[in-house]
Amino acid sequence: MRSPDIFTLIEISCFFLGCNIVLMILMVQYRKYRGKRLSNLEAVFADCVSSYLYPRPGEQITSAEVGEALSKAGVKKCFPGNIDYLIQLMIRTQRALGGINHHKIKKLYSEIPPYGVSIAKVRSKKWSVKARGIREIYEMDQPQYLKEIVPYYNHKNIYVRREAQIALVVFLGWESLSFLPMLTRRVGLWQQIKIVEKLHDVDKSYNIGYLRNCYKSSNPDVLQLVIRIIKKYQIMSETDFLEKMLCHDDYEVREAVIYCLLSLGVKNPEMRRLLYSLRTTIPSEIQQTQVLKYLYKNQDFILNHPEFVIGLNRSA
Amino acid sequence: MHTFIDYFSWVISKGFFIYGACLTSFYFIGVYLANRGILKARRRNVFLRSQDVISASDLPHITLIAPAYNEGPTIIDNVFSLLLLKYPYYDLIVVNDGSKDDSLQKLIDKFNLEVSLQNPSENPIETAHVRNIYKSKNTSYKNLTVIDKENGGRSDAINTGINFSSSELILCTDADCIIEETALVKMVTPYLEATDKEVIACGGGIGLANGSSIEKGVIKKLRLPQNLLALIQVVEYIRAFLLGRMSWGEVNGLLLVSGAFGMFPRRRLVEVGGFDTSTIGEDFELCVRLRKHMEELNLSYKIVYLPLTLCWTEAPETYKIFISQRDRWARGLCETLSTHKKMIGNSKYGTMGMIFLPYWVIFEFGAPLVELIGLLYIIISASMGWLNWEVTFYAFVAIYLIGCLFSTTAVFLYVNYFNQYNTIGQIFKLLGAAYLEPFIFHPILVYASIKGYYKMLFNIKSGWGTMTRKGFSSANSS
Repeated sequence: MRSPDIFTLIEISCFFLGCNIVLMILMVQYRKYRGKRLSNLEAVFADCVSSYLYPRPGEQITSAEVGEALSKAGVKKCFPGNIDYLIQLMIRTQRALGGINHHKIKKLYSEIPPYGVSIAKVRSKKWSVKARGIREIYEMDQPQYLKEIVPYYNHKNIYVRREAQIALVVFLGWESLSFLPMLTRRVGLWQQIKIVEKLHDVDKSYNIGYLRNCYKSSNPDVLQLVIRIIKKYQIMSETDFLEKMLCHDDYEVREAVIYCLLSLGVKNPEMRRLLYSLRTTIPSEIQQTQVLKYLYKNQDFILNHPEFVIGLNRSA
Repeated sequence: MHTFIDYFSWVISKGFFIYGACLTSFYFIGVYLANRGILKARRRNVFLRSQDVISASDLPHITLIAPAYNEGPTIIDNVFSLLLLKYPYYDLIVVNDGSKDDSLQKLIDKFNLEVSLQNPSENPIETAHVRNIYKSKNTSYKNLTVIDKENGGRSDAINTGINFSSSELILCTDADCIIEETALVKMVTPYLEATDKEVIACGGGIGLANGSSIEKGVIKKLRLPQNLLALIQVVEYIRAFLLGRMSWGEVNGLLLVSGAFGMFPRRRLVEVGGFDTSTIGEDFELCVRLRKHMEELNLSYKIVYLPLTLCWTEAPETYKIFISQRDRWARGLCETLSTHKKMIGNSKYGTMGMIFLPYWVIFEFGAPLVELIGLLYIIISASMGWLNWEVTFYAFVAIYLIGCLFSTTAVFLYVNYFNQYNTIGQIFKLLGAAYLEPFIFHPILVYASIKGYYKMLFNIKSGWGTMTRKGFSSANSS
């Protein structure tokens, strides 16, 4: 390398180094400014919402007035970050509220500008924006957009399909499970957990017909999801299916069954006995040992099951 | 003769230039990949927030294994902090690895421990003899188990914890680390989100808490260390974790999840036989072995790195301890590369065999050697009068500036994405340390690595060395 080349390299390095340092300082300053803006927005929102939900006599605030106040605080189309922040605040508030106030917030969301933000996001081509839009719609309980969400239940992007599936469950309850046998793509653990939770939030009683439709699915994730639903609703009648699943090829399916039987066994000790007697049929030594360890933690089971105590003494 | 020297000199300098250019290019590709990875992680985080995980049911059960050896002064505070983590389903196993101090007695007294029954099943991994297992009589600590065993080293202690656990996931840490309250929630997310590829390990960032205010094992105020050596290591950790690991994670090329803070599925740990007790670089070795295992099973897998500082530890503040630590790391690297040498350049192991491991050999193992040879070459050239001082000086300035640029970019990303060091004063302190690093830190680092290689080459046994810590609670509480 010749000296002029090295000089150029030094100059370029110095330039980028300087840019980096200046940008860093600007960024720290901007973050402080942004923090102040957002806390101001939060204060205005809290003020408006409290007046809107709990008005003083003769001081009823309208949704138009709320919209105007928020607009003054920076909620405008040209500041999408502020809009997102406002939606987050609304979701958080709505989650904390119940009854009439829950519906009031839902109404406010659909009445204040910028209108239709979430459904516009659903139409976006970017997966992250699309999934966020779907999430906002079900979190803010806006079932009028369900038709636009349905086509995404088997979308290639995991986040889009996850949010779409959760939205279906939120809006349709047990009926939504009819999409499960058609699912060809993977259903992640978090997706399963959320579906089960939302389903339980929507309907505390179970509909076994929709569940049994899924038993023949070849997708192990769907089977896992079904087992989680059995566990959540404490359905004792499905032992045949659980027994069969205990020998399934997929490790995770078997894992889900073990946890399910243990959980069902809290109310019905017969389930734990079933698990103990079937443990040798599980095609994994690691899981067989695991079953013993789980059962060992349950003192009542040890006391009521002499064979287990003998096994315990032998190995210890 | 002159022509030969000219030719030799030309070859050597071109060799150094190509090596340096490749390394610099890798680093800047790393910056791009790390930035992309952080942005992706932030986008994904919108859909899986910590609050949602904490309130969820049916989450995977986690066992936190913390080996402890002679940690009497801090053990109670540290166990308390590990019991305060926010996650609905976790157990804590503290493995007393034959401590010679009063660690065990302190635990028994404080947590009201009593001897419990042994496990009902055979232990899948062979370990040193377990003397007793303790559980607390106090129901507030029902998720705490203390295992007292004969001394067998850190890996053996973790393996004992693996044997006694029954959860799906295992988080390995050290009893002297401070873990963020929401660390488990964050660490479990890759497992919750996994679909096509199985997550076989997950690591998080490790930060240095020297100089911070710590009370009862919890960081109250994060400060930068006053000690220059520790301060430089803060920059080094930011660079290594945020840029290095994040970028490797982005291309699924992570070969190392830090032993101080790593989560693994128990099933896979048992399948590979747990940590290797015969090596000092056990965390690196385990990751390579896990990857090898998955390659041999022909299963899709990934190792995930989370761009968050979730665990805090203490950096050595004296050169003696620092050299001892880095010498050990260098030996660990040599041992693992040597153990798995058949995988290097072996297409049977895919990108790991053809790209990731060769990178480690050439640029991680090779860098200190190349630097040493470079230094010797400059000294010889200077003494023989072959050196063009002007070019050498400017080349040195250019290399220094590129190094500074890289460190500044790492600090920039850290400040931009995380809210931990966020004042102008702290930023300038970090930058100052980064610009001093090549003069006062790097030569020592190279020396320590060469020392480690030398010990390996001549089979000089020196074990783990003494990593004396000042102790968070005693030294830094305010």
